[in-house]
Amino acid sequence: MTSDWLQLLTLDLAVAGIAGLVLLGDAVLPGHGRVWGRLTAVLLAAVLGASFVLDVSGSTPHGAYVSDAWVLFFQRVFLCAALLAVLGALDWLEARAPLRQAEYYALLLFSVVGMMILPGARDWTLLVVSFELMGVPLYVLSAWAKNDGPADRPKLAAEAGLKLFVTGTASSALTFFGLALILGFTESTLISAVPTGALPPLAGVGLLLVVAGFGFKVGAVPFHMWVADTYQGAPTPFVAFLSVAPKAGGLAALSVVLLSGWARQSAVWEPAVLLLSVSSMLVGNFFALPQTDARRLLGFSGIAQIGYVLVALCTHTEFGVAMALFFIATYVFTNLGAFLVVHAAAEQSGGHTLVRLAGLSRRSPFLGAALLVFLLSLAGIPFVAGFWAKLFVFLAGYRAGLVWPVVLGVGLAVVGLFYYLGVARSTFMSEGESSAPLHAGVALRAAIALCLAAVVGIGLWPAPLLQGATRAARALGTVPGASATR
Amino acid sequence: MSTHLLSLVVAAPAVAAALLLLLPRQARLATRWVSLCGALTSLAGALVVAWSWDKAKGGFQFLEDYPLVPSLGIHIKLAADGWSVALLLLTGLIIVTGVLASWKVDRRDKEFFILLLVLVSGVFGVFVSQDLFVFFLLYEIAVLPMYLLIGIWGSSHEVPPAGPFRFVWKRFAVGSREYAAMKLTLMLLVGSAAILVAMFVLWSHSGARTFDLQALQAVAFSRSTQMLVFPLVWLGFGTLAGVFPFHTWSPDGHASAPTAVSMLHAGVLMKLGAFGVMRVGMVLAPDAAVAWAPVVGGVAVVNILYGALCAASQTDLKYVIAYSSVSHMGVVMLGAATLNAAGWNGAVYQMFAHGIMTGLFFALVGLVYERAHTRTIARMGGFAHAMPAVAVCFTLASLSSLGLPGTAGFVAEFLVFLGAATTRFPWWTVPGVLGAFVTAVYVLRAAKTIFWGPLPTGEFAHLEDARGTEWGAPLVLGAALVLFGLWPRLLLDFIDVTSAAFLQRLPLLADALR
Repeated sequence: MTSDWLQLLTLDLAVAGIAGLVLLGDAVLPGHGRVWGRLTAVLLAAVLGASFVLDVSGSTPHGAYVSDAWVLFFQRVFLCAALLAVLGALDWLEARAPLRQAEYYALLLFSVVGMMILPGARDWTLLVVSFELMGVPLYVLSAWAKNDGPADRPKLAAEAGLKLFVTGTASSALTFFGLALILGFTESTLISAVPTGALPPLAGVGLLLVVAGFGFKVGAVPFHMWVADTYQGAPTPFVAFLSVAPKAGGLAALSVVLLSGWARQSAVWEPAVLLLSVSSMLVGNFFALPQTDARRLLGFSGIAQIGYVLVALCTHTEFGVAMALFFIATYVFTNLGAFLVVHAAAEQSGGHTLVRLAGLSRRSPFLGAALLVFLLSLAGIPFVAGFWAKLFVFLAGYRAGLVWPVVLGVGLAVVGLFYYLGVARSTFMSEGESSAPLHAGVALRAAIALCLAAVVGIGLWPAPLLQGATRAARALGTVPGASATR
Repeated sequence: MSTHLLSLVVAAPAVAAALLLLLPRQARLATRWVSLCGALTSLAGALVVAWSWDKAKGGFQFLEDYPLVPSLGIHIKLAADGWSVALLLLTGLIIVTGVLASWKVDRRDKEFFILLLVLVSGVFGVFVSQDLFVFFLLYEIAVLPMYLLIGIWGSSHEVPPAGPFRFVWKRFAVGSREYAAMKLTLMLLVGSAAILVAMFVLWSHSGARTFDLQALQAVAFSRSTQMLVFPLVWLGFGTLAGVFPFHTWSPDGHASAPTAVSMLHAGVLMKLGAFGVMRVGMVLAPDAAVAWAPVVGGVAVVNILYGALCAASQTDLKYVIAYSSVSHMGVVMLGAATLNAAGWNGAVYQMFAHGIMTGLFFALVGLVYERAHTRTIARMGGFAHAMPAVAVCFTLASLSSLGLPGTAGFVAEFLVFLGAATTRFPWWTVPGVLGAFVTAVYVLRAAKTIFWGPLPTGEFAHLEDARGTEWGAPLVLGAALVLFGLWPRLLLDFIDVTSAAFLQRLPLLADALR
């Protein structure tokens, strides 16, 4: 119990090490841009492999950080997302910004380090610091392609970055203010220091402010305003990452705070989270309907997906958390894959609008089929991963007595199908302006193929991931909430 | 006896589809032969199942069981009862003839056959699945490829805007194949959502943490649970069965779909819906089925009459056949609502008979359309001179459609009406028989206008009879109509064993509606 707590951070430190290596290496040996991307990918894959070999479970003496199956599940998800994002960005970075490649990877990795510490944080300070570490590099990366917008709006990326930055810092401010109220009451920075009796109103307000702060990151309504604009302006390979990993991070933070720490005060937060969930499902699905830009459409669909997953969180049962984990893991592969396909198509057809995607299946059968699978998975169609995810989440909600949110969600899933099929219609049934074959780079195609394999694989054989999610949820040690006995 | 017989039947088309993926796009003939082999394997498997299914033993035979998600009690459990035998045969016949009828699909044919085969794997699976969850999974597989099949290979037609919502016509491109595909998919998916909720309810109220249909059958669900589940299942599966007023996807979808897809959809998929209502709704929620029977039967009667009247007022040949399916599926649902042996036997027999008949219809309509390039009945006439075989088969299907003795349609309708006459609501037979009369009016009128009359001239002078693979559907399906019309015991023996077993479990049921 002396210094071996450092080994709990092995994986996190390894990723931080890669980031440092890339950053320093580029400074020492400038001009070898493409090397750093490949190196990052290989090393990330090695860390991911190591996560299956090493046993790093335990907790720090003062209980600020733990490492267990729960943390490991999220870390693997983040590593997968980072690896796929790096693969997906390789060719694009090489072509667009050959001199700044190392910066991109380093920033991405720093954000991943923040994410990887997040699920294990059991102390408010550590939680907030890692949350910021996750968030700050994202502001920079959103504005990465600062002059790369369409001809009529070349500064779209600046808008994207600014919007994420302003809402991000505002949400941090909310979190800090909420924390001030909570800590003043609990007199301890440990998340688990929860009062047993009734919560005084001010501490309740504090908790809701913290929830709101995390709500920004996951993009839940009404904290969703940045989503569509940022997705539209930021570089698409980065959006692929932005649309999944920080959401998983936010979900981890919410789960840690609400389910392992403050579960006993569920009377305070449950209605609020349920409201977030229902409004996200409604707004996400209906606002996605009229979208003509694939990235905005996927942005709103992502909001709807977060609404579904929050239903599982509201159950505050171990089963519910497990289902939420399953959901978010499948969502990572599905949405990342979808954005990468959109990126690959847009790189050569000159835009992200649905019209530009027309005829994709003729131009590249692989990309067309992959996009269809991802869309069906998002829509929750059997034999792809998203079906099980949606089913499990709704099942958890139903078992916990949240019948109306579940019925609403099932109904809205049909609305979702309408716009997902709308994209499929334009890729499969319309004739595009060009019918020239479409070629994507090897790395990009590999990333898409990996996502595809994961989505189809989980769809056909969900049991292993389900087991992993269940084990992780058990490790979190969900405390049954006051109303869980309904 | 091989215990993997049912897996073979279910998987053969899917395996063929996987093989097609590996074939190069240029190998057009190989594509067709691989598809045909997959379909034939399934049909052969279905025949073996029918041959070796022990009628004396009854129950569920050829049991197979593989765990899928054991922690939630989901198993891939396949077994065949008497109903499955009849419906497997139907599906086998339709897919084999459907592949033959699609021999000339020239645009993106590889994808077409892949989707068609995947879809039919799902259909086979539903009919033999003994796990509610897998039942639902495969049901979705059977429904979804339809979107692409209609959207890509379908045909559009003009619908002149009319009525207070005429602005909607333009906005949603009513009449286009994309519209039909989207309408069909969304309506059926709303139905699926209802089924999914019903599944949750059954699963969580059974206390057994299982989706096994036989285990669920043994659970006595409380009356309130049943009253909640049954309407969900009825509307969910009923949407696919074309239950009024949720039938509106069917005419548009069937009219826009390519030939083989119409055959499969009207011939087999609508039966999935009726099968689901009976197998899941009525068997698992018997009390609610009794309570809801007047509604189910009443709506079925509306289906019969309304569908027939709609069919009678159509000018587009494919719409006539499509609406006739709505009408005939009403007969199936009426049979189901009787909750007695005659009615249930009739319902399942009607599923088979109507499947064969409507498959034959759509195959012939496809043939006619391919040659005449029009579906407007008024523009055709005298085609029998040029295509005598097509004319004969069309007339045969018409006669079965109106229930002429000696055709399979007669046996089915007779049994259903017999069943309906012995319930508490004998008046059900009146509009039912009236519907059969209207059917006679519209099918005979269509047959007369299209095929009989003076020799066609002008643009129709070059018409010719069926050739090569086109003979497949008319011959096989026409022969089946007559065979099962003259010798109904061939199938009824299977069906009766299972109907009796289901009804026997519910001794009060039979009396409740007397």
